[in-house]
Amino acid sequence: MDDQGCPRCKTTKYRNPHLKLLVNVCGHSLCESCVDLLFIKGSGICPECGTSLRRNNFRLQLFEDAFVEKEVDIRRRILKDFNKKEEDFPTLREYNDYLEHLENIIFNLANNIDVENTKKMVDQYRKENKEFIQKNRLKMSRDEEYLEMLIAEEEREAKSRRELDMIEVKNEKNKKMKNKEALIDELMFSDLPASAIVAGHNVEIMEEKTTENTAPSSMFSSGTSFGFSKADGKVPVLSDLGEEYIHTPCIFDMLGPVAPTEKDVINNGYLQNIREASDSDRGGGYESRMACQRALTEAMCGLFLDSENLT
Amino acid sequence: MFASGTQKRHWMFSGAPEIDLLRREANERYVNAFGQKMDSSSKREHFLTPGEEKLMMRHFEFILSSFCKKFSPIMPKYVQGTALTYFKRFYIHNSIMDFHPKDLMLTCVYLSCKVEEFNVSIGQFVGNLKGDREKFANIILGFELLLMDKLHYHLTVHNPFRPLEGFLIDLKTRYFKDKPESVERLRKNAEEFVEKSMSTDACLIFSPSQLALAAIIYSAGEDGISLDNYVTSVLLNKTGPEDIKKMVSQIKRIKSLVKNQEPLHRELIGPVQRKLENCRNQSNNPESEVYKRRLEEMFEEEEEERSRKRARIAKEEKETEKQLLGY
Repeated sequence: MDDQGCPRCKTTKYRNPHLKLLVNVCGHSLCESCVDLLFIKGSGICPECGTSLRRNNFRLQLFEDAFVEKEVDIRRRILKDFNKKEEDFPTLREYNDYLEHLENIIFNLANNIDVENTKKMVDQYRKENKEFIQKNRLKMSRDEEYLEMLIAEEEREAKSRRELDMIEVKNEKNKKMKNKEALIDELMFSDLPASAIVAGHNVEIMEEKTTENTAPSSMFSSGTSFGFSKADGKVPVLSDLGEEYIHTPCIFDMLGPVAPTEKDVINNGYLQNIREASDSDRGGGYESRMACQRALTEAMCGLFLDSENLT
Repeated sequence: MFASGTQKRHWMFSGAPEIDLLRREANERYVNAFGQKMDSSSKREHFLTPGEEKLMMRHFEFILSSFCKKFSPIMPKYVQGTALTYFKRFYIHNSIMDFHPKDLMLTCVYLSCKVEEFNVSIGQFVGNLKGDREKFANIILGFELLLMDKLHYHLTVHNPFRPLEGFLIDLKTRYFKDKPESVERLRKNAEEFVEKSMSTDACLIFSPSQLALAAIIYSAGEDGISLDNYVTSVLLNKTGPEDIKKMVSQIKRIKSLVKNQEPLHRELIGPVQRKLENCRNQSNNPESEVYKRRLEEMFEEEEEERSRKRARIAKEEKETEKQLLGY
């Protein structure tokens, strides 16, 4: 990055960290100060290739490789006119042909092959498809409109949520104040002992807190909606539900007496006879009944093995 | 769970005779493969007999157990139990002469550490050994896959230790309600019994819960307590008489098997070990030239296979490129 520099004044990014490289349609870069100097009149020629350029066509160079920069610029210009979409073609094949044609044009312009003819071709296309281009541009703006609408709606929702929150906080504050006042009044005028009044008051507050209803949370949405948007009017329909799954528990032949179940282990006092699980054990999801039950199960399992008649 | 696992399905045998028969067959297979040109008397002189194999096996089981006991960090008992089970299972279908137990023993312990989630690295593991540790590490890792393959990847082993805990809890809760602390006295002898049973083939014949129950009953007997009442009216109170009879006979068999275990004749070990050095399969000996050559060949083959694959992929790529470009 540091060895990137202006080809005219030879300043590099290393020597001047604020260096800004600009690029014009021909794809050759110049630094900002050189542009100021050379294009003082508003137009001039590229010092590298002699193409005549206008000052207001200079843009900030985004890519290190000037060729990529040029290609991107051309692509942007061409795509403005060649804005057909897949649905505008009857078959995929034709769409692909169109895309290839488009790439050819961009390639030719970027590599200076047959520039005159290609430009003519582009002009011709523009004339022939004037209406279509216009229509497609409109269509695109409709999509953008839809997105904007979504974003606006979201903002509106966020705003109403904020307002609700504010109101709630205010209400709470008022209530607290009122409670405090009531308490003080009671302490002043009641005959009961102070501790009883305070205790009764605390209970009231607790009750209030538990009964407080939580407002239903409004739907959260980011700019994109999942699945098909409603604008399409298409909703996926599950056509084949298949057979219902029915769970059948596995039955193992334990080859021994029936081992105590989880409940038995907990209720019948088995747990008194083993080491209690420490807090760090429990933190990992371990409970002492697991080891206990495992040991008991393994003790019972296989007791009736008859090695003389193995199957 | 034991009742539905591989231990019951594939590694339970009817009794010592069946296991001995399988081991004799493994021995015969080896002798027949390596002693084709010998007559029967020189065969007997050169190769280990099934009895000698058994002696070696018990000797190395003993070494394995003491290695586990001295292991640092301290090794839980069930790791040792699993390692011993692997060892016993491995030498049911393989001859001692084919794979030397001193190599397999370490591999069994190492694999068991992994399976039982006793986390030691190979470096830490061979740190418990004296001698060339890098060599040991290579031997262990070299045999690990082979061991798993020979065990048919049936790596879950149910040991009697957890059932033993289960019975202790059950006794405290359902039988000695008034004095649960007296049950703890049974623990020491019961654990010793389980330990003793591990030097027999009991883990290939009986279920872990039966071994644990036998241990508890034995220990109570040593203490002068009879648990008959517990077994019949608490543990098996809803069980039919047939199952009870079956279980009682199994417990009796365990007791006699563990009690009548022959002592290890140490004086016989030396000569048998020297004999084993002469008749072992050199292609499975990590220190022999044959083994090293084989390993190298395997490595080269792999390399070759890889380069062949690379060449094939490159060729295919070229072809598709050609097609795409329409040449």
